[in-house]
Amino acid sequence: MTFNAVGQKIPKKDAPLKVTGQALYIDDLELPGMLYGKILFSKYPHARILNIDTSKAERLPGVKAVVTAKDFPPNFRIGFMKDNPPLKGNKVLSTRDEIAAVCAISPEIAEEACELIDVDYEVLPGVFDPITAMREDAPILHEELGSNVLKLPWKLVCGDVEKGKSESKYIVEDTFTTQWVTHCCMATSGCIAHFDINNNLTLYSNTQIPSLAQNDFLEALNALGLKNRRVRIIQVTIGGAFGSKLDTYPYEYIAILLALKTRKPVKIVFSRDEEFFATSPRQCTITKISQGCTKEGKLTFREVEMILDNGAYTSWGATTPSVMMMPISSLYRVPNVKYEAKCVYTNNTYCQAMRGYGNPQATFAIESSLDHLAEVSGIDPYDLRMINANQPGEITPQGFKITTCGLKECLEEVAKRLNWREKRGKGGGKRGVGMASLIHVGGGARVYKSDGCGTIIKMDDFGKVDVFTGATDIGQGADTVIAQIVAEELGIPVEDVNVIHNDTDVCPWDVGVHASRTTFVAGNSALYAARKIKARLTEIVSKILEIPQEDVEIRNGIAFSKSDPQKSIPVARAIRRAHFTTGGSMLMAEHFYDPNNENLGKDFKGNLSTAYTYGTHGVEVEVDTETGKVKILKYVAAHDIGRAINPLLLEGQIEGGALMGIGFALSERLIYQNGYLKNGNFLDYKILTVRDAVPVETVIIETDEKEGPYGAKGIGEPGLVPSAPAIANAIYDAIGVRIKDLPITPEKILKALKEKAGTGNKA
Amino acid sequence: MKKFDYHIPKSLEEALSLFKSLENAKYIAGGTDVLVNIKRKKESPSHLISLRNIDSLKVVEKKDGLKIGSCLIHQELLKIEEIRTYYSALYDALTKLGSKQIRNVATIGGNICNAAPSADTACPLLVLDAQVVIFGEKGTRMVPIDDFFEGPGTVAKEESEIVTSFELPSFPKYTGSAYIKHTRREAMDLAMVSAASRITFAAEDQSLLRDFLSSKGVEELDKELKNYPLFVKEARIALGVVAPRPFRAKKAESCLEGKFLNEETLREACEKAAEEAQPRDTIRGEAWYRREMVKVLTKRTILLSVKRAIEMCS
Repeated sequence: MTFNAVGQKIPKKDAPLKVTGQALYIDDLELPGMLYGKILFSKYPHARILNIDTSKAERLPGVKAVVTAKDFPPNFRIGFMKDNPPLKGNKVLSTRDEIAAVCAISPEIAEEACELIDVDYEVLPGVFDPITAMREDAPILHEELGSNVLKLPWKLVCGDVEKGKSESKYIVEDTFTTQWVTHCCMATSGCIAHFDINNNLTLYSNTQIPSLAQNDFLEALNALGLKNRRVRIIQVTIGGAFGSKLDTYPYEYIAILLALKTRKPVKIVFSRDEEFFATSPRQCTITKISQGCTKEGKLTFREVEMILDNGAYTSWGATTPSVMMMPISSLYRVPNVKYEAKCVYTNNTYCQAMRGYGNPQATFAIESSLDHLAEVSGIDPYDLRMINANQPGEITPQGFKITTCGLKECLEEVAKRLNWREKRGKGGGKRGVGMASLIHVGGGARVYKSDGCGTIIKMDDFGKVDVFTGATDIGQGADTVIAQIVAEELGIPVEDVNVIHNDTDVCPWDVGVHASRTTFVAGNSALYAARKIKARLTEIVSKILEIPQEDVEIRNGIAFSKSDPQKSIPVARAIRRAHFTTGGSMLMAEHFYDPNNENLGKDFKGNLSTAYTYGTHGVEVEVDTETGKVKILKYVAAHDIGRAINPLLLEGQIEGGALMGIGFALSERLIYQNGYLKNGNFLDYKILTVRDAVPVETVIIETDEKEGPYGAKGIGEPGLVPSAPAIANAIYDAIGVRIKDLPITPEKILKALKEKAGTGNKA
Repeated sequence: MKKFDYHIPKSLEEALSLFKSLENAKYIAGGTDVLVNIKRKKESPSHLISLRNIDSLKVVEKKDGLKIGSCLIHQELLKIEEIRTYYSALYDALTKLGSKQIRNVATIGGNICNAAPSADTACPLLVLDAQVVIFGEKGTRMVPIDDFFEGPGTVAKEESEIVTSFELPSFPKYTGSAYIKHTRREAMDLAMVSAASRITFAAEDQSLLRDFLSSKGVEELDKELKNYPLFVKEARIALGVVAPRPFRAKKAESCLEGKFLNEETLREACEKAAEEAQPRDTIRGEAWYRREMVKVLTKRTILLSVKRAIEMCS
């Protein structure tokens, strides 16, 4: 099959706007009469609020409103478990708890006013790790719940793990831990709330979930006594999200409340400090894993127990164990699987979705453990992976129907490009190679009642197309990829397709940009809508050219007869003929695409996604054994993505993912001490800089997924999933020590080397 | 950010009299530290007096050593060939400070007067025996840089005084210096530990140095030391981050100075340097690790200095 628009390396449509500074972010947006909101956060991680005195703040000239918990209806709660009041009135449970908020005519006055609010606290003992939080004598955060363990029964059982153990010749057991890492979006969180004269709300937002956010805010308006109103979400240019904007947050409800009180637009934008401490990071995990294999290396079982630090409140992030089940049950063929996870409240920051949604934490444990198993069984880690690699057509223990699967090809490519056979185990105590693979949803993921996305499409008199999609562009390239799919289907140039993706008043419903689903789901939705409009168009052309409809072909904006290409008409002219005639018509179509995947059942089984994506990363490292520093010499990332709609953006996703993964593996962590964030700035939070970036050799394996738009599967998240275990495995190959606790810092390596050498550790 | 008035004097005298006449004033050069501190509410001056438009603070004089103006930005200093050739430790530091964007505004005078224990140019200036030239009401005075640093953020100058330049002596050809910054990242990072050294060999060893280079090359330096009895005439070792101020590890220096450089004296120097260090546990690094790194960096920086000295003689 040959393509015109699909497969083209087209730069992202809004890239020129971004690099020339013309793209408008929340921070750039000013509305007439707009006020600036600021939130007062808690001074303590756990305390009772005895009194809040806002009188001094209210008297400060320029202050237009001050709000506290009493301004929200009693018992108004937000979040996945409805455990989070947007403003806290009785108790604070973390240092990011919102106590009061002000809005004023300038950000400086708002900030000064916040400092004038006096809060009397009764400090309570806090609990800062999930193990302590589960003890009987631990302080209970949410007293009404009676326990710090969330009532979310994450448990998956497939086959019989005990039987699997009895069939094992080799068994390994290890415990792995991962840290808090944060998204580090270039643009910080923020919104502008604005009510019209009829109390309809417009929220300028950088949310990833416009339709679900609309639903959340409608609920809030209801609670505030504003029944039967409208909520319009307008998304500005979103400067990165990575899962951080996959929920609605207290600051948004506070902005809405302030706007309602003042009848003015109210903007709240986080400072970088606030972005670090008041947004939700990836959850840290403690994972006990054991797996076994036969003498020949066939995996027999995998058993995983996990504890997650939920933080003080519950967002969608508490559902990450449902995604962790995916690699635990279905990465490689393993017949017997058992997985249990507990999410535990602590007085730390509450956690949320972050690219990979739990998969990186789980895969770190699985793939590190697999290398351990390889060592114990004496089988080369690459061979062990090939023996157990997933294959097309299989149904995994969790019930995933694997359609296309390029895992073996990915493994082979990585081994070849790393020169695996020559290098493995031969690095002279300094150099080593390692690999790790991934499975992820690649055809949507039904985590909500619908996994759908709507598209409305119209063609104008000049042959240009407007596509109104439910999809959100958070920088990943939905604007460009959807244009390419529509252009391909209609036979018109990509630049003639305008994608509108930022306004709930005009764009149809979509569940949100998550689960690497946009190219697949929004792409299919756009494709089918384009197909409908194309049917109309070819019908019009067939009448004008007096040829059968099946004979009509459109290329580069010209419609012609396949059998007699002399007969042709520009598409624009054909449309005008249909438009400017008696009983004329316009070309418009719509489609709502909801993939044929399934919600997981009560047993957490079912075909979660319509297609699954695979990949393998391979790394060669050099370890400085005197300092413990790790240098990445080579990084190969092979991914089965079905079809590359836009190889340029695809490589960008993989490279960006891998760099995020390397940071997760080696340097990034939020340091919390007793509930306080200690490194909330870019100097001390060690995200990689461009000077640290290593070239990522991307390998694209096209398996042509039947259900995907032109064969494509999702790729938003996979790029960072296997980075950490691949690096950890390479380090082990180099120096013979396995670091089971992320990030793998020079200190941990040096300490482990000293312990191995028996020279003791001085820590 | 708290508001302040901004003044742009054209001469040292004007700057000084502004400082004297204004309440709660502070000098500012590149602003990469001062403005961050103001934003973080660590200080709140009412007046900032910019030193950036005073031409005399941007001098470069290449006579009997090198004199560099305090308001030269790091990226400009990188272009001075003499620094690269004769004051390599400083050159190393200039390439490692912040990022190119920072180096394009931050000045060397600012880096020194901010007096962070991790200041990148501090250790190199310490091993290069720099003199700090200071202008004030009583005229101009010189202070050896080793006496200039007093503690974290404090230096031996009146608030009204202005550091105008740094004077570096000229060293014999058979001299090498180096600076190593140990970081978690390649840019935009503070050192966990930093070390600089300078080694000046004896004049009579010049031919030996040449032989060394022609026979083995410098790659195998540490292994070959025992075959080449190189006499160290002068040794300087300075450490950053592992004390309240950047400092010279003088006991470590004395392990080398006036002695032959060999595996044993080198190891002693590294051990001594680690003893002299007073590292702390912070979120940026653990004390035990920092102490270990003092040993490693001291060794590496000395070997790099030796290598450069040898190369200078070739």
